[in-house]
Amino acid sequence: MTNPKPHSGARILTAVAAVSIATLTLTGCGGSGAGSTGSAVEAGSGEGTINVWAVDGQAAENDALKKIISNFESSQGKIKVNLKLFPSDQYTKAVNSAAPGDLPDVLDFDGPTLASFVYNGKMAPLKGSVSEATLSNQTDSIKGQNTVDDAVYGVGMMNAGLALWGNKKLLDTAGVAYPTTPEKAWTAEEFTGVLDKLAAVVPGGKPLDLSEQYGFAGEWGTCCSAGPVIWSGGGTMLKDNKASGALDSDANVKSLTTFASWKKYTDPNADGLAFTSGRVALSWVGHWTYPTYKALGSDLISIPLPDFGTGTKTASGTFAWGLGAGSKNGAAAGKFLDFLMMDESVQTYTEANGAPPATKTALAASSLYGPGKQLQLLGDQLSKACGTEEQINDTCVSVTRPVSAGYPIITDQVGKAEAAIYAGKDAKEALSAAARAIDQNFADNDGYKK
Amino acid sequence: MTMSRTLNSARRGGSMKRTRRWQTALHYLILTVVSLFFFLPVYYLIVGSFRPSEEVLSGLSGFIPTNMSFDNYTGVFDHLGSEATGYFGQFAAVSVIVTTAVVAGSLLVNSMAAYSFARMQWRGKKIVFLLVIVLTIIPFEAVALPLYFMFSGQRDTIYIQAIPFIANAFSIFLFYTFFLDVPGEIEEAARLDGAGPFRTFFQVVVPITKPAFATVAILTFLAQWGSYLWPVLMVSDPTVRPLPLAISIFQNQQPPEWGQVLAFGTMFIVPVLAVFLIFQRWFVASISSSAVKG
Amino acid sequence: MTTQTQTQRPPTSTLPARRRSSTGLGGHRFAGPIFASPALLGLAIFLVAPFVLALVLSFYRVQLNSPRPARFVGFEQYTRLFTDPDLAAAFGHALLNNFTFALIVVPVQTVLALALAVLVNRKLRGMVIFRTFIFMPLVFPLALTAVVWRLIYSRGDQGLLNAILGFLSGGTLTSHDWLGDPATAMGSIIVMSIWQSVSFQMIIVLAALQSVPTELYEAASLDRASKWDQFLNVTVPGIRNTLIFVALITTIFSFRLFDQVYLLSRSGSVDRGSTETVMTQIINTGFDNNNVGQAAAMTVIFMLIITLIAIIQRAAARQRGGV
Repeated sequence: MTNPKPHSGARILTAVAAVSIATLTLTGCGGSGAGSTGSAVEAGSGEGTINVWAVDGQAAENDALKKIISNFESSQGKIKVNLKLFPSDQYTKAVNSAAPGDLPDVLDFDGPTLASFVYNGKMAPLKGSVSEATLSNQTDSIKGQNTVDDAVYGVGMMNAGLALWGNKKLLDTAGVAYPTTPEKAWTAEEFTGVLDKLAAVVPGGKPLDLSEQYGFAGEWGTCCSAGPVIWSGGGTMLKDNKASGALDSDANVKSLTTFASWKKYTDPNADGLAFTSGRVALSWVGHWTYPTYKALGSDLISIPLPDFGTGTKTASGTFAWGLGAGSKNGAAAGKFLDFLMMDESVQTYTEANGAPPATKTALAASSLYGPGKQLQLLGDQLSKACGTEEQINDTCVSVTRPVSAGYPIITDQVGKAEAAIYAGKDAKEALSAAARAIDQNFADNDGYKK
Repeated sequence: MTMSRTLNSARRGGSMKRTRRWQTALHYLILTVVSLFFFLPVYYLIVGSFRPSEEVLSGLSGFIPTNMSFDNYTGVFDHLGSEATGYFGQFAAVSVIVTTAVVAGSLLVNSMAAYSFARMQWRGKKIVFLLVIVLTIIPFEAVALPLYFMFSGQRDTIYIQAIPFIANAFSIFLFYTFFLDVPGEIEEAARLDGAGPFRTFFQVVVPITKPAFATVAILTFLAQWGSYLWPVLMVSDPTVRPLPLAISIFQNQQPPEWGQVLAFGTMFIVPVLAVFLIFQRWFVASISSSAVKG
Repeated sequence: MTTQTQTQRPPTSTLPARRRSSTGLGGHRFAGPIFASPALLGLAIFLVAPFVLALVLSFYRVQLNSPRPARFVGFEQYTRLFTDPDLAAAFGHALLNNFTFALIVVPVQTVLALALAVLVNRKLRGMVIFRTFIFMPLVFPLALTAVVWRLIYSRGDQGLLNAILGFLSGGTLTSHDWLGDPATAMGSIIVMSIWQSVSFQMIIVLAALQSVPTELYEAASLDRASKWDQFLNVTVPGIRNTLIFVALITTIFSFRLFDQVYLLSRSGSVDRGSTETVMTQIINTGFDNNNVGQAAAMTVIFMLIITLIAIIQRAAARQRGGV
């Protein structure tokens, strides 16, 4: 294996060693890069123990994952799985700060972090390790997020969808008619009117839940809140790898200002119960609340997010699975990934969290997604995939977040800007500052080119 | 607010004796209000830990102990119930080991250094001590990044969680102020008895400066027990994960398991609280004797 | 009437300079350095070396775990920090937040510590219980403090603080977004920090109060000084050194402001800009944005600033006969 450790990195250490005897005794250097990017992992013996890292998610998801793993272990006798779960707020840091040798064989990753993981040499392409059948069974909407520079790095069991979940009883009480297909989505203006009407019928006078409790200044803000608002208003976060002129466009200023104007209708939902307890009539959140929200029974309806001008938009993409760059057991890891993507595993997992399956066969067999089924809307939205930001048109719905090694700075800045706007700051100012910070970071990294 | 009231009560108290009773009542009233401010969040934490998550955040009724059960506690242990997630007991053990190591190491190493600065003569002492004093103001967070750079090879070990925190400039400073007050005659007597510097320090000086050790132990313990940033950077492996890193797991549930968060928090502080309450008198007395040294 | 008491120094206070020359252990030439060396070695490796590394890194453009080679950029990180309008504004704002925090917390917490100490320094029945209540928050790690107070400050009627205020005001006060509103965000964090740590300072002051010789009070009473005069002319001068000490450690702690802000700003709809401190900015820049060189430059500047403050503070304190 080549050692791509930068020359000047070594110079830094030498310099420090010169001033401090202490450093001489220390060998570690966080800057040491990972395995060379783009090359496949060693196939290894195809047996033994493989290490798997994943996010410590919902209790039900964890249980499902453990069940799948035990199924895998009992389906064959040669490969054991050693699973480690990390709190979600620490996961990306854990991967980023792990030296190549400490990375697991298989790891969970959130779609938009993939490009930066690949760029930093954390992950290896799947070709050769995972079977062709598994790869070709992935739905088109998930393939986009798992492909970097034309190589596939990940396979997903699930996709993600966003909706405005509605409480039919409350909507009816207020005399509000609601759209059920993406084409008929409320315009932002209509939506404000709807909120006015609903405010009169809910107990606290705040009929909307925007999932504020997740914090806008984080991935939720970028992916699922600011993202759809921006895309639906005809804007983008980046244009030709530049944020200035894109993120701070007048369209985005207008859309996000409108979004922030709904704060007065919004229940902060810190207890996560605003919707199920009937405090709010509408809840802007992802598929993952379905297992809880289905308690409403036939009163639960899904409504497309508001249309800010160029049609309703939602984000697609979510956690998927890939190979650690340092794996010495690619064959065994590949077998595990194949098993994860089998219908039975996908079913177990998506039933636990209500997610749309990301494999073609499991999606077709789904009891929730598909014509006439309760989550049809979310499935339809995913099938109307736009691809990435630049490919958006009026009729497509689900947008893949920017596939860029610079995504960490994008999400950090977009989320921060959204939180500031929501807190009452001037949108133009907040977005311009975010755009400049993103461009500066890209410039510092030569646009994240190889 | 409390300040002005206290001063008011002090002012009023001076003149008339018949207002004394009224004054005492007022004193109690202020004490009660102040105590409520400090105690209510603690009460809320403990009561909430026994209540269903959906009732934790429900306005004033969050304070009313209804529907009490141990469900949140079993929920915490259920979630942290496998190799993959790590076990609560394991996290607690890591926290205890790391904290104990830091406190013990810190007492030994820093007291010796402080003693050297306070009572021994050696070349360059003054300038070195001045440097140590300057170091008291460097917050750990400021060097966390380069430190992580230097030690990323030692990630996921227990010792790397402890060792960087043993030497502490502020603790040296605290010890120093105590040791200045040790009467010279005692050391002189020990020296005449033929004791070397080590015996003098450990057998003569340490026993009479216990309050200093208590103060430093308490301060170090409190800082270390809740240590957050460094573990976030250095720990991925659940087997060496300390308690503070695990709180967020329950917050990220859908809907957030506030009850479990509070149950976890309660288990986090109650043992410490118990120890502190038992030793309160001794603890206050210890800090007391350090008070006027500044 | 009180001039004598004012000049009188509490007998327990010590001036380091006065005692420094006391009996050493001259016979063992190397004992001093040997005693000091383990701690000094630790400080050198874990504080000085990383600081020097930060200094070096601040001249580079470097990312953690990146395949890109670090690039020497001279003073670019510094010039950016001062001339780039966004960065300069953000850094300036973070510094301002730190100073606001310190400027409010240091005097307020010192005075509160004194007030609380006076409050609990009376021999009243049940005082032990009150003291216990007041000092309970001390055992809260900041990670937990942030969680509990996040619930307390929660926006909307469900939030505890809003519920209490609504109840006390008979419903006239409507719910406020304590952490989300830039006007109250910092204040909320200040109250939380004081809640968590003021009792420590209180205990220190309490002890000092109890060591002020009672004869001084008796003398003052004979002079027919009122309680308030006694407080000003006997108590305060008597514990002056302690108050300076408390202000000093509070200053140090307040510049370290990190955990609470970092944790709180990542939950709920908090506007990060209005609560950002230099420490959170350094960690955010270095880790979340992976811009190590920039973070290192911030570290160096910040160190210079607080070293300067500490020197001024200590010089001032020394001049007035303190520490």
